[in-house]
Amino acid sequence: MLKQSGYGIVIVIGLVLAALTVVELFMAINHVGAGLLMLVAALKAILVIYFFMHVSRLWTAEGEH
Amino acid sequence: MAAVTTTAQAAAIHHDTHAGHDNYAAQLRMNRLGLWLFFISEAFLFGGLLSVRFFLWGADTRPELDQTIGLIVTSVLLISSISMRLAETAMERGNRRMFSIFILLTALFGTIFLGGVMVFEWGLFPSIYQGHLTPWDNKYGAVVFAMTGMHALHVISGIVFILIVWNLARKGSFSAERHWGVESCAIYWHYVDVVWIFFYPALYLIGNAVHIAAH
Repeated sequence: MLKQSGYGIVIVIGLVLAALTVVELFMAINHVGAGLLMLVAALKAILVIYFFMHVSRLWTAEGEH
Repeated sequence: MAAVTTTAQAAAIHHDTHAGHDNYAAQLRMNRLGLWLFFISEAFLFGGLLSVRFFLWGADTRPELDQTIGLIVTSVLLISSISMRLAETAMERGNRRMFSIFILLTALFGTIFLGGVMVFEWGLFPSIYQGHLTPWDNKYGAVVFAMTGMHALHVISGIVFILIVWNLARKGSFSAERHWGVESCAIYWHYVDVVWIFFYPALYLIGNAVHIAAH
């Protein structure tokens, strides 16, 4: 499973988050509206909440140690 | 007779161990739920600050903050989140050495983030950087200090949490099988990162910069 593959997926998600941060900056330079910027921020937050904060462990037995 | 007793004792031990594992698993589920309920309550605090920002500044103005500093501190916090996740993965695999390295790196990145905000946004050390915002002069300074101040408070508590967990791990309190302390610390740190993910565009990117003269 993707989430269990260890260090590799952490780096991939990190790179995606970095890329989205750069996208945000370019969107701001091009005066894109606040709504779209907050949408990209929400996408970044979802990635962190799902892959780093293990939100799915709330309703599954995954990661029970 | 002795053999029967030994078998019965073994079964009892197995039963106790199994029950112990069930208790731990149930406790772990409750711990996770409690931590997420805490995050939901915190979301009202940070959501309130975000609402204040849009109410007072609107969607078309923001203070003139240093974009380079904003990008650097945001990147540092993002890297700290990655190193924290790597620390947790190391603990899950029983690699204590890598765990110690990554969790201490996380604390270091958190400290750098905090230093960046204190020096370059708050202007606490004018000999290094002369800040142009104060919390009491106008709506821009007030909101910047309220948002970054409340976030910085959580970064500080996160760094303290990290150092406590690192010290406990050094003493052997966690294992690859049982490390709720590490998991909760990691989730808390990522939450601090999630808050900044929304604060960064709200403070630095949304709206046109309004120049505020230094006092």
